[in-house]
Amino acid sequence: MIEHGPLLERLLAGEFVCAVSDDNAFRHLANEETRDAIDDYLRPLNRRLASNDEGSVYFLAWRQLNEGAREQLSRQLSDTVNSLLPLLEWLQLVQEALGRDTLAAPGDVLKPAEFSAKCEDNQSLRERLERLATDSFFGSQSDQLDAQVKQLFKRLKEHGYLLQPHTERQVFVVTGKIDYLIEVVRFIRDEENLPIDVEQEEGAQEALL
Amino acid sequence: MSELESRLLKTGAERLALLGKHAERLMQGYTRDDVPLDGLNDSALRKLLAARVLWRPDEQSGVKLSPKVRDLIAEMLADETRRHVNADVAETLELVRSLVHSYREARSRGEHWRQEQQLLRLRQEVDDLNGRFADAIDSLWQRLNSDFGFVSQLSDKIRENDRAQKQIVRLLDGLALIDFDELIALVGSDGSLRKLLISQLQQRLSHHYTSLREVQRRLIELMARFRKQQARSRLISGMVAFMREHPGFVPSNYAKRSDVPALFNHAVPLHAAAAPALDRALESRVLAELLHELPTPRHATQTVESAVPALTPEDSLAAARQQALKQDVERFYLAVLDQPPAEPISALAYLYDSHLEWPDEIWLFQVISEYQGLPRSEQQAFRLHQDESPASPFNDLRLIHDVALAVAV
Repeated sequence: MIEHGPLLERLLAGEFVCAVSDDNAFRHLANEETRDAIDDYLRPLNRRLASNDEGSVYFLAWRQLNEGAREQLSRQLSDTVNSLLPLLEWLQLVQEALGRDTLAAPGDVLKPAEFSAKCEDNQSLRERLERLATDSFFGSQSDQLDAQVKQLFKRLKEHGYLLQPHTERQVFVVTGKIDYLIEVVRFIRDEENLPIDVEQEEGAQEALL
Repeated sequence: MSELESRLLKTGAERLALLGKHAERLMQGYTRDDVPLDGLNDSALRKLLAARVLWRPDEQSGVKLSPKVRDLIAEMLADETRRHVNADVAETLELVRSLVHSYREARSRGEHWRQEQQLLRLRQEVDDLNGRFADAIDSLWQRLNSDFGFVSQLSDKIRENDRAQKQIVRLLDGLALIDFDELIALVGSDGSLRKLLISQLQQRLSHHYTSLREVQRRLIELMARFRKQQARSRLISGMVAFMREHPGFVPSNYAKRSDVPALFNHAVPLHAAAAPALDRALESRVLAELLHELPTPRHATQTVESAVPALTPEDSLAAARQQALKQDVERFYLAVLDQPPAEPISALAYLYDSHLEWPDEIWLFQVISEYQGLPRSEQQAFRLHQDESPASPFNDLRLIHDVALAVAV
């Protein structure tokens, strides 16, 4: 268990561990025995190891849900719901600004400078960025484009969606928490029967083999 | 070399040279709809048409590249948008059958030269067939490895992937047409035919088959990834549109359900805090070291302004000099104590010998006052002799010129 000390600390601190944020730990977590050992260790703390459906990101869940835990989860859920729209709009904005054909996915590299430059040249992107940056989730007070972009990336880093490998370099990597966010969206859509285009069967192609 | 062969060589070389001569014009035709004709004279155009490099669909339309030339260029550029996959196996097989028959005919008639010719053509046909499969497989790998990078939209990538998968199915169907039992029966006991059509061909085709299966598997995987990305994009844009339309939308509170969905059960952060502990001797030493290594705080401690009794700088200077004088006099007393008893030391002589800079009068005054300030018991240990004289005959004022101090015997 000694060698997993730093990993446990990160998990206990509420972090999401994925292949991008900690490749080594993530590989350890792929091992069922390690997961069981960590679960045993966490038992007295009323926590257990959990992952998203895809298994691309790990985090700690309550083992027993008491009243206090439910209160905390309710608050957290409402925070998540409140941050949903700005986060999703950001994903769309990045995709459009950088001219990519897909949404940002774990491991993708994002450079604030490139993002700024693209928004600067395009009035519509510029306006959307402005609106997004001043949203209470991102909370930018500035009317300068660069400062707004900086604030966006800062907040996303704080929330664990982005990772900055070198503090002195303005280069960010998308983490596996994005997968978690997408799954949350999918869950809400299915659970609330929202009238949103139901995706095609993902498994259909594999079934051909 | 036969006359026919040399004529073929000559014409072929001439026509191949046409490609080089008009290369830029042909490339313009490749990238556009028509081949630009301005600046091209009639005879050159006729040659290009005769060589089937160009063709004219009808009188009204422009001149276009012939499909074979277009294919050739696409193949040379590995231009995946245009590269065709065409392994027309059925026709090749038909040709192989007829070549084998005429080869055997030539052999039975003893026409060696014709026999050789037929074998050469058979070899070329088999090589062509191989080459077509190899090219097709190469083109598929190229597209796969670039993630279909030659088209930018995800929906285009999905269509391209779909097209590539259909090509693979056609290629596999083509491979299935080759029936080795039939070929074995066809070649009979002829050694060179057997080697060419059975052992070599079989080895190569099984290699193609494995490659095709592999590329097919990978294409399907990639397609699954594309579809997943597409599904994500749709999900996100759908949710954004929904939430914009329904600003007050709040999902039900999943945390209050008896069975909380795994996705929403994220425990509150717990920080493993620790403080320095001094209950272990070994560690306290480490802590002490750490304490010493602490960088000194950069900000200077703030001086607290408070009122002090009014004190002029001269006063404090005087006090300092007074203190210095007192110490020098004390040193003089110590020097006296070091002397043999009853040998008096002149205070002024000591002052000059020690190179002290006190004025004589002040020095004497301090030596006397020090003596008078001593407790009575200690005073008795010294004997102070004052070298004095009357100031005037009219009063009893005496002037002290020097004092001599000695330890009392």
